[in-house]
Formats: sequence, C-alpha cells, structure tokens
Amino acid sequence: MLDRLGRMALPGTVLLYFVVLTLAPLRVPYLSDTLPLLPALVVFQYSLATPERLPGVFLLAAGVLLDLLLGGPGAPVGVSALGFVLIRAAVVANRRYLVGVPFLFQWVGFCLLAWGYVIVVWLMTALFTWTAIDPTPAMLQYAVVIVIYPLLAPLLARVRPRDPLNVPELSRGTARPGETTS
Amino acid sequence: MAIRDDFEVVASQVRVVLQRFALGLLVVGAFAAMLIGKADTVLVENARVLALDLASPALETIARPVAYANRVIADLKEFASLREENARLREENSRLLAWQTAARRLENENDRLRELSQFREGPEASFITARIVGDSVSAYVRGALLNVGRRAGAATGQAVLTGEGLAGRVAEVGENSARVLFVTDVNSRLPVLVERTRERAILAGDNSPQLRLNLLQGVAGVQRGDRIVTSGDGGSFPVGIPIGEVVQSSEGHIRVRPFTDFSRLEFVRVVNYGVTGLVTASPQTAPAPPAGQKVR
Repeated sequence: MLDRLGRMALPGTVLLYFVVLTLAPLRVPYLSDTLPLLPALVVFQYSLATPERLPGVFLLAAGVLLDLLLGGPGAPVGVSALGFVLIRAAVVANRRYLVGVPFLFQWVGFCLLAWGYVIVVWLMTALFTWTAIDPTPAMLQYAVVIVIYPLLAPLLARVRPRDPLNVPELSRGTARPGETTS
Repeated sequence: MAIRDDFEVVASQVRVVLQRFALGLLVVGAFAAMLIGKADTVLVENARVLALDLASPALETIARPVAYANRVIADLKEFASLREENARLREENSRLLAWQTAARRLENENDRLRELSQFREGPEASFITARIVGDSVSAYVRGALLNVGRRAGAATGQAVLTGEGLAGRVAEVGENSARVLFVTDVNSRLPVLVERTRERAILAGDNSPQLRLNLLQGVAGVQRGDRIVTSGDGGSFPVGIPIGEVVQSSEGHIRVRPFTDFSRLEFVRVVNYGVTGLVTASPQTAPAPPAGQKVR
C-alpha cells in the first residue's frame, strides 16, 4: 500500500524538488544556468512514462510555485504553469511518436517541445513587461538543457519500447490489443 | 433516491465535459493566473514572500554543501590559471599599497578639516550580514535570495553591498528570507553620478553582465575607466557607494562593468541608511535598529 502511494507520489515529488532546486546557488559554469528549465524536463519525461500521476491541476500549482520562487517583481506568474500544461498535453497527444521508439526520437521530441516552451515563456515575459528582452541567455539555457537531457532523463523515468497492454490504462493512448503503434 | 440518481447523472455529465475540455480549462487557468498577477501585485507579492519563506529553510540546509561544491569547482578552475593570477595579484597589491598611503594621508587631512569646520556627520548606518542561499538564474531576472528577513531587521529598499560595491537592493522581505534585485536586472534603475565629472545619469540594467548608462546631457564628459557611484538623488541610497566603471563609451551606448563579482557572491551586507525613497508604498515596515549599532 505504501509502495503504491510512493510510486504515485514520485513524479510530483521529483517535480517539486527540481522546482526548489532552481534556486540553489550552484555555480557550475553551464549547469547552473540551465536549472530553470529542469522542471520542464521532468514534466516531459514523466508525461512520457506515467502522465496520470501528474494531474493538470498539480502542474498548474507547480508552475505557479516555480514562477513565484524564480521571478522577480514584474515577471508574469503562471507562464511556467502554461508551459507545463502545454508540454504534458503535447506529449500525451503524440505518444505514438514518443513511446516505443528509439531514444533518439524521444530526444528530438524533447528538443522540439523544449524549444516551444522557451519561446512561449520568452514571448509571454516580453509581452507582460512590455520590453524587448534579450533572448540570448534563454537560448543558452536551451542549448545546455538539450545536451543534458540524455544524462538526466533515463534517471527519472525509463520509457522502454514495450507492448501497449503492459501500460496502465490511462497511458495506453489509442493502441488496440496487439498493436505497438496505432 | 430519485434526487440522488439525478445528482449522480449530472455529476457524471459534468465530469465528461471537464475531461473533454481539460486542456482548454487548464490553459485558461494559467492565463487567469497571469492576469491576476498583472492586476493584483500585492497579492502576488505576498504569495511570493510566502513561497520564499517556505523554500528558504530547505535551501539553507543545502547551502553549505552547495558552497563547498562551488569552492571545489572554483579551485579546479583556478588551477588552470595560477601563474597569471599570481602575477596579476602581485601587481594589484603594489598598486593598492600605494593607494593605502594616499588614503591615510587623506584621512588625516579629512579629520583635521572636519574639526576645523565642525562638520556634523549624518546618522551612521547599521548593517546585517547575510548569506546568499538561492540564486535567481532565470534568463529574465537577476537576483538572489538571502537568509535574513524581517526578524533580523531587513526591509524593502535597503542597499545590498559587497566589499567591492553595490550589488543591488532588497525587493521583497519575508519573515526569514529576503529577495535581492541585482543592479543588472531589467527592472533596476539607479540615479548615479560619474565620479570624475559629477555628472548625473541613470544606470539601468538589461539582464546582461554590463549595465547601461543613460546620461541626461549627452555623452561628452564620460571616458573609459570612469567610476560610477550612487548620487543619492530621489532619496534612494546615500552618495558615493561605488557601483562600477565605464568600459565602453561609444556614441549613445555607454556600458558600465559592475564592480561586484556576481558569480562569486556568498556573503553580502544589507545596509540600512534610513533612506528608503526608491520604495514609495511598501506595506511592510521593519523595526528600525538604533543608528550606529551592528545588527547580528
């Protein structure tokens, strides 16, 4: 029973841990720049594996918490929540291309979705503060996080190619018995 | 019984509708959060302060191992450039010794002149030493989290200094934590003086490592190497706190390099000079420590 509770709570706890970790004063040259994008990485990876353990409302709350902790006065609170929700929706809608395929495709999928996330956050921040914000630091963060993805993602949740019938009900997507892609 | 069945039917219909429009509702919820944040900044500030207060103890417990890791990494980086670093330090040392003599002479002269004119000193500053327990490394905000809050006497608008110069000011204060807005942040605007010519200007950040100097009367007087200090205009900070030096003064674009090394911040001083003119309507007022007394 405790076992099941632990497994249910794992993605949420890991996400909250990374949200708090974005504030840690780690001074590693490239890694510490990328800390704000790590929660997005966590959301992506767990949406691949077990999206039912990351309910939408929880993602909203975690995104708002991340914005509260990270942003200074003037940053839009809720932009990360929007990003997380969109990432999860995009992953769940495209499971066909992301589950049961070689890891490289998952990496490419992450690159695309992370790019979308960074663009959305940059756009919303620029709109809300009504100033032209230099996109270079954001691009640097993006470049580092897509390099880090293969190191971090397998530690979080492995999404091995397997028969869809092995997958819990809500993660099954549109596969019918015996199919591996639909 | 019929009522309960009807209720169950309606409930299941509502659930079906919710599931169909789940994504839309979540997106609307996120936008609503953004709009609320835009409309009611006091609520957002309070929420942010609460979130920081919750996160601060967790961050403080990992602050020491993280500082140790930072030191190890900095050591590794320094091994690569030991020799040049040594030469540079030797040269800087001899320069500073020369300055020390000059400073002593000036100090004596100052004391004698003050006695002569019976100059009355302003109230002394009180300061609080704080450790940085969190970095705001977002691409859009430059700031840090301190482990002192209202209980230690910090308040919004206070200057945050390092040994080298001004680092920023306190933007928000909780019970046990405070958030600092660095001078390099987009929202930071300081009234400053060019030390040599005493020309007034505004020093603005734009989230890049260098600051922008906007002169009020043209770029004529500013040269490379000029020091920029606070001017005390608008009752923000007192006069004379060093901020940075000019590194590039082409037409229309004057860039200032801040003295503070933001990549190595560990301890800072929060100074309360008793002037908080930059922050007009702050809902929190800290109990002012008696002037001249060291707080913690």
